[in-house]
This record gives sequence, structure tokens and C-alpha cells, in this order.
Amino acid sequence: MTANGPDSADETLNLQSRISDLAQVPAWIERLAPRFSIPDSTQFAINLCLEEVLSNTIRHGYAGQPGHPIAIRFSKPREDYFLFVVEDHAAPFNPVDSPELPPISSLDESAVGGQGIRLLRQFADGLEYHPTPSGNRLFIGFSSVNSPAAKN
Amino acid sequence: MPISTVELEGGITRVILEGRLDIEGAAAVDMPMNVIAGTKKFVLVDMEKVSFLGSMGLRALVAPARAIKGRGGKIVIFGPNEMVEKVLKSSGVDTLIPVHHELQNAIAALQ
Repeated sequence: MTANGPDSADETLNLQSRISDLAQVPAWIERLAPRFSIPDSTQFAINLCLEEVLSNTIRHGYAGQPGHPIAIRFSKPREDYFLFVVEDHAAPFNPVDSPELPPISSLDESAVGGQGIRLLRQFADGLEYHPTPSGNRLFIGFSSVNSPAAKN
Repeated sequence: MPISTVELEGGITRVILEGRLDIEGAAAVDMPMNVIAGTKKFVLVDMEKVSFLGSMGLRALVAPARAIKGRGGKIVIFGPNEMVEKVLKSSGVDTLIPVHHELQNAIAALQ
């Protein structure tokens, strides 16, 4: 996945590793949406996936410690594709390869906890992970052609 | 996230959620949902005005559902939009908490 293309103006959101910082993400997506023609259903998928990735980074990657950086870079490499790159300096974690729990089949609360990665894989159209010398870089792609609302 | 309740006939409590059931929203409804789960037996969770549902929001639904069912009660979800329902289906929560789009059917399922 690359960030080159005719409409590839970059936008970056820089967060600190605080759960309260996640509130900045929906507003950021709302600002991007009209400028880059992001459909409503795709915005939903973006918000869902970023919330999962970022909350996992904060709670697990940074072990809940505040004051650590997380950068989210947006680009639109082609007309119908939106790319988000999440980069951190946290402990290595590859959500692309980590085991996925099955759908919840009981009301045991512990079964709910593993649904984040499942939802990430269901709602993103592309996922690519690269370790960096200092942490992690996760590429998350969304296609407005394959709208999440149309997927099974 | 605003949360309100309306008592319907037949001892049914309609819990109305509005806005984003994200990490922040889930934290905001956690206590009131626990109170409802501990005191009400037939609960209709009205999600017509819920614009977003994340995995933390799922917990905010599953935990009360567990308590209600554990006390011999019933709980249903009413009116989620297409994307919210996709989250419910992808996670399997819809197999544990029935989803209805017609209010009469939701109420009937609690009786």
C-alpha cells in the first residue's frame, strides 16, 4: 500500500496515549469526509477500525501509560480508496496475524473482549502491518466501492 | 451518551440510547445500564438513535444482558441502523440478544 496518487493530500492526526484522546478521531473523520467524499458507511467503518486499533495500542501496546505518541496519517491514493496509516512506538503487535476469536456465542463478558480484531478484519478492506525500529506501522484501507454496508 | 427509559405496558422497560456507543459512550451508560439490569426484567434496548457501535459498546450491551437473563428476564435490541446491525452480526451479539426492526415484534418477544 502506498500513499501516492492524484488526490493524495496527506492529513495527519497526532494523539497521545490517552483513551480520552480518542474523542478527537470522529471529529477528524467528519472534517475529512466532505473534502475527500468519504461515504457515511465508510466513515462508520473507519471510526470502528481506528477505535479498535488505537484503544488496543493505548491499553496494551503502551500498557495504559499516557504521554506516548500515536500518529494517524490519512491519504486518498485513488478515487475510491482511503488509506490510514497508524504509527506508534509501542510494543510490537501485529493485528493482521494475531488469532481471531470466533463470534460471541455466550454472554460471558470475556468473549466480548476479543471482538476488536474480528471487527477490524470485517470492516477494513485492506490491512498491512510493518514493524518499525521503534514500534508499529499499520496500514488500514477502505474502499468506497466495496462499501461496508454491502459486505456480508 | 444520553440514556433514558420509558415504562411500557406489560412490565417492559424501553431503554433509549442516543449517539455514539464508543468507548466514551459505553463508559457513560455503564452505570445506568447496570442499574437497569439489576432492577428490570424485560428490557427493550432502543438503538434507533445510535449512530455508532464499537467493541466497547458491545460490552455495554452484553454485560446487562447477562444480568437480566441470569435473573430469568429477557432483553431485545430494537431498531439498529444498517451499520450498527452489521457490528451486532459480525460479533455474534445478535445471536444472544435478538434484534427486531418492528416495535410490535420487539415487544412481543419480551412477553
